[in-house]
Amino acid sequence: MKIKVQTKSGEFEYDCEQDEILLYAGLRHGLTLPYECATGTCGTCRARVVEGEARLEWADAPGMSYVKQEKNEILMCRATALGNCTLRVPAKVSEGINHDVLPGYRNGEIGNVRLLTPDVMCFDLSLDQPVTFDAGQFVVLEAADVTGGRAYSMVNYRRDTETLKFVVKRKPDGKFSNWLFDRDVKGKHVDVYGPLGKATFHPDDGKNVFCLAGGSGIAGIMSIIARGCEEAYFRDHKGYVFFGVPTVRDAFFLDELSGFVDAVPNNLEVTVALSDEDVPADLEKRFPRIKFGAGFVHVVASERMAGKYDNMIAYVAGPPAMVDGALTMLVLEARLPGTDIRYDKFT
Amino acid sequence: MNWKRVCAVGEVPENTLKKFDVDGLTIIIANYGDGFQGFPPLCPHMEEPLAESGLLEGGVLTCSKHLWQWDLRTGEMVGMAEKPLLTYEIKREGDEVLANMESELVYDYDEEDEMDDDNFFAAD
Repeated sequence: MKIKVQTKSGEFEYDCEQDEILLYAGLRHGLTLPYECATGTCGTCRARVVEGEARLEWADAPGMSYVKQEKNEILMCRATALGNCTLRVPAKVSEGINHDVLPGYRNGEIGNVRLLTPDVMCFDLSLDQPVTFDAGQFVVLEAADVTGGRAYSMVNYRRDTETLKFVVKRKPDGKFSNWLFDRDVKGKHVDVYGPLGKATFHPDDGKNVFCLAGGSGIAGIMSIIARGCEEAYFRDHKGYVFFGVPTVRDAFFLDELSGFVDAVPNNLEVTVALSDEDVPADLEKRFPRIKFGAGFVHVVASERMAGKYDNMIAYVAGPPAMVDGALTMLVLEARLPGTDIRYDKFT
Repeated sequence: MNWKRVCAVGEVPENTLKKFDVDGLTIIIANYGDGFQGFPPLCPHMEEPLAESGLLEGGVLTCSKHLWQWDLRTGEMVGMAEKPLLTYEIKREGDEVLANMESELVYDYDEEDEMDDDNFFAAD
């Protein structure tokens, strides 16, 4: 079916399959439709149906609080079309998605499943077709037995790859994460849509890099640092990574982070902040390449980064309270312009 | 002109903003150091309450929800902002901050929704 979108920068049209999510169809045709979480929580992809009929696939999505249903508004990320439709989208849109990283549908088989802590696991997805993505991007994963998709950032960085690596934290009410943790998922298949997300790292930005991550938010940061290391970016630029976890038992990827620092010890610094305990005495001996601190990660970063924000671009990923604290710090203390702070708003 | 007293100068320290109710209208007063600015309580983007999401530094107001920014000294949009911030005329009289609150300033989403607006397609 045909979907017309009226936007602040003109009208566009794209094809949409039966039962296909309206946002996903538009993005895979290269339209820069507004979105952030792509999974029903942030409200950014609000649109109004002015002709035709759309069906909300998740009427109770948290992002519906931004939508005026009495005016026939929808979240494009959680709606499908029942026929040809015309949508109004209150944003500037272009056909500008870089075709290298145009999102699309794939299927992936889960493998290499490992428990990193009692409630954090990592796994690989072997895709049926290769994908290219930018460091910092995410995909939406959907399992046949669990309704709705969940967004996860890639840990690795590769162009034209058939392997995506993920890290997932178990959430008490998270149906998808419980699905992953409660059974042997090796060999199970999931649908994959992506890549998505604009909190991406590009070496031609030419700036020093400051990364602030909480818990599994480290995933996209790992991808960013991996690309930076692979392309010798940190030979000429500084990189600062701050990784927050409650206790040392919740920490993971410390060997991988040590490996990054080993490659460029003069220009890359990794600090792990423990919010719920003092730093154990032996930790710095066990991981001599990593610095440790006690406190919330954005507070530790604030103390240790004073005066180092020159020519900086910042990446933030983690739980909502950490993201809010980090953004406040980056605006008020680091005085970074909003255009140099990159994060994907998932709430 | 309908000048109304909003607050005492000392109630809004430098680089902070605070919400006030004046005769049934809600206004935020921001002290950006060189002066005061007054604006409606919600972000023009997605109706975020600016008394909670607003950050003020160097004369620039930032809504921390999506980092839309406005320079309160000039009224200009900064960075990623796509809509102007509506502002009340403000003046100081002695130790008091006054706002010209003849009528309530509201964004398109409140009254004539922007998607009903004939100017929907107009460039900013």
